[in-house]
Amino acid sequence: MRLQDIYINGAGSISIQEPLSKNGIFHPVVYNQPLVRCIEPNYKDYFEPNVSRRLSKIIKRAIVSAKQAIAESGIESPDAIITGTGLGCIEDTEKFLEAMILNQEKFLQPTFFIQSTHNTISSQIAINIGCKGYNNTFIHRGVSFDNALMDALLLFKKGEIHSALVTGNDEMTPKYFSLLGRIGYWKPEVENTLEILKQNASTGSFAGEGSVSLMFSDTKSESAYAKLQGFDLFYKPTIPVETKIRDFLSECEIEISDIDLCMTGMNGDVENDAVYSKALENLFTADSIGYYKQICGEYYTASSFGILATAYCLQQGKVPSHMILSGNSKSNVKHILFYNHFQNKDHSLALLLLC
Amino acid sequence: MAFDVFITGMGIVSSIGIGVDETMNSLRQKKTGIGTLKHLNTIHELPCAEVDLTESQMKQMLGIKEDGVVVRTALLAMLATREAIAQAKLPLDGTYKVAFIHGTTVGGMEKSELYYFDYLENNTRNEYIEAHDCGSCTEKIADYFGGFSYVSTPSTACSSAANAFILGSNLIEAGVVDIAIVGGSECITKFHLNGFKTLMILDGEPCRPFDQTRAGLNLGEGAGFLVLESRKVMTERKVKPLCKFSGYGNACDAFHQTASSPDGQGAYLAMSAAIKMSGLQPVDIDYINAHGTGTPNNDESESQAIIRVFGDNPPSVSSTKSYTGHTTSASGGVEAVISIIAMQQNFIPSNLNFIQQMENISFKPVVDVIENVELRHILSNSFGFGGNNTSLVFSKI
Repeated sequence: MRLQDIYINGAGSISIQEPLSKNGIFHPVVYNQPLVRCIEPNYKDYFEPNVSRRLSKIIKRAIVSAKQAIAESGIESPDAIITGTGLGCIEDTEKFLEAMILNQEKFLQPTFFIQSTHNTISSQIAINIGCKGYNNTFIHRGVSFDNALMDALLLFKKGEIHSALVTGNDEMTPKYFSLLGRIGYWKPEVENTLEILKQNASTGSFAGEGSVSLMFSDTKSESAYAKLQGFDLFYKPTIPVETKIRDFLSECEIEISDIDLCMTGMNGDVENDAVYSKALENLFTADSIGYYKQICGEYYTASSFGILATAYCLQQGKVPSHMILSGNSKSNVKHILFYNHFQNKDHSLALLLLC
Repeated sequence: MAFDVFITGMGIVSSIGIGVDETMNSLRQKKTGIGTLKHLNTIHELPCAEVDLTESQMKQMLGIKEDGVVVRTALLAMLATREAIAQAKLPLDGTYKVAFIHGTTVGGMEKSELYYFDYLENNTRNEYIEAHDCGSCTEKIADYFGGFSYVSTPSTACSSAANAFILGSNLIEAGVVDIAIVGGSECITKFHLNGFKTLMILDGEPCRPFDQTRAGLNLGEGAGFLVLESRKVMTERKVKPLCKFSGYGNACDAFHQTASSPDGQGAYLAMSAAIKMSGLQPVDIDYINAHGTGTPNNDESESQAIIRVFGDNPPSVSSTKSYTGHTTSASGGVEAVISIIAMQQNFIPSNLNFIQQMENISFKPVVDVIENVELRHILSNSFGFGGNNTSLVFSKI
């Protein structure tokens, strides 16, 4: 879908990198374990102690990162708040579920249930900033954020909104990590997260988590990161993804030779990475294939971090060597194609430009 | 904004019937689906509106093998979707780009609450681990039919299915897809039955929406799906529309996670926006299928919002949750189908169990089925936890 003048004017994140900062993209903290949790900011700076106690960690992360994105954009309150999350507030869901099972449905408290529904995140952001505009939540596996973004872009296209806060939020509890591990999501051992692609002979990756908020607007702000020129989301394509990419770029009126980099969700999982390699083999060389999950870890809404990292690279005009397959850094970067897939079923494409 | 989206098929499963015909008969005969729990294994004795089918029975109806890994929510959805596809004579052979948009919140929770400790401790239930998340539930349903080029899972608690209409119609208007099946499904789980119980919003008696003595809601389960398409595709396919989907409103109450604001600000904004997008005035609405859960808080807040939009004498209002129970994430789909049945058959469903008018509220709900009435425009409300409020308008052609 070709878009007219959509800009990323603000970005906030709490991730396994330095919180509320973009430093981690170019200078990432490196880990050596398969489960990495977020580095938290000091929430005392943002919430009164009594409020802080009531809110779960994922809600606090979501609110604080949203506020950073909104502040950067210079807009007071967005016209829409749309959240993507793969698992929602899974920590509180687990707490309520366990208590219910162990106590045979007796002596339950409402707090964990109240915060267990997936849409708690979007509505708590709205309550916190007093935003009564459009509010929605999408849960769709590895394209949850991508689904939220599509919803926002359709509203822009209709002229229904002029700004949207689109967020990707997931937390990885040790328990959910362990049960996803049973079905092959993770590598048993990780030596160096930054070099996770070196372990690409086996399945699985390393788990991360994060809250990323991006402010999209149809007006460019002075501090804008990038322009979004096109976006596509599709399920089980009946034609090769390579053809889908060619069609997408031609709809966006840009030549493949003009694309400086294709940013992918490669994560060291042999099956996951092969899907990218196959789709891109006739389009791009190792010098122009990028990746970002070595910085944020694998989780359902990792693509939100990927869009943030891509937009930041465009704003800075360069892509560091640790984000490029060939290991050669790139400067003077103007056009980046973002490609995300989940289990080779759900796919998304985004064209981001320097602005 | 001009809005040109039509409904060409629909399907429904709830405690008052499997399919459109059974549902219509129950509504006309004032036959409620609220009763004692049979299928859910819980310690609580609370009136609920279960679909009286076991998973095995549903699998049989759908031609799915007994050991097939399909959660109850997905089975309900498949039955309703199948009916909608048949009515719309929808080809899923690649001729058209078709989206499947499924609002749900519980996803595979009904299995997770049985097998959770197996997930953690052993490998016996691994096939259900990935079935937990709502997105996988959606894909299971989509793959049962095949041929979808776009799938999505909106999840805003009790307004999930209503929000599916928004995405579906916008995808069609933008030309991303030609056709969209939209709706929602949800089975009753111990998880949300107990959750609602801790919030003390479950009535031990059959629910009494918009009644002074109302004391809470009854949980229900079910699925409602509808086929949306553009005028161009509908004309090309030579299918007859059931009605027009005229517009929507989505607003956030931004007041409290589980309570609505006393003046119903979010509900007011959603209803007003939906009427405006439809190019209508409040006076054009002939019937409001209310959210009307039967909780003291919702019905007060929704009533105040209705009065703010429509004045002291609003159009006919009823809550069909007194028949189906609160089908939570599915309610927007279930109640859209009920609204369109009413429009086609020229009757207004009643609001059961009403005795005493609410204090400070100027109107009463419809207490008896009204027959032979033309319904040109119907407003359907779905309000979720966190103030996720959505209103939809359906119009006669």
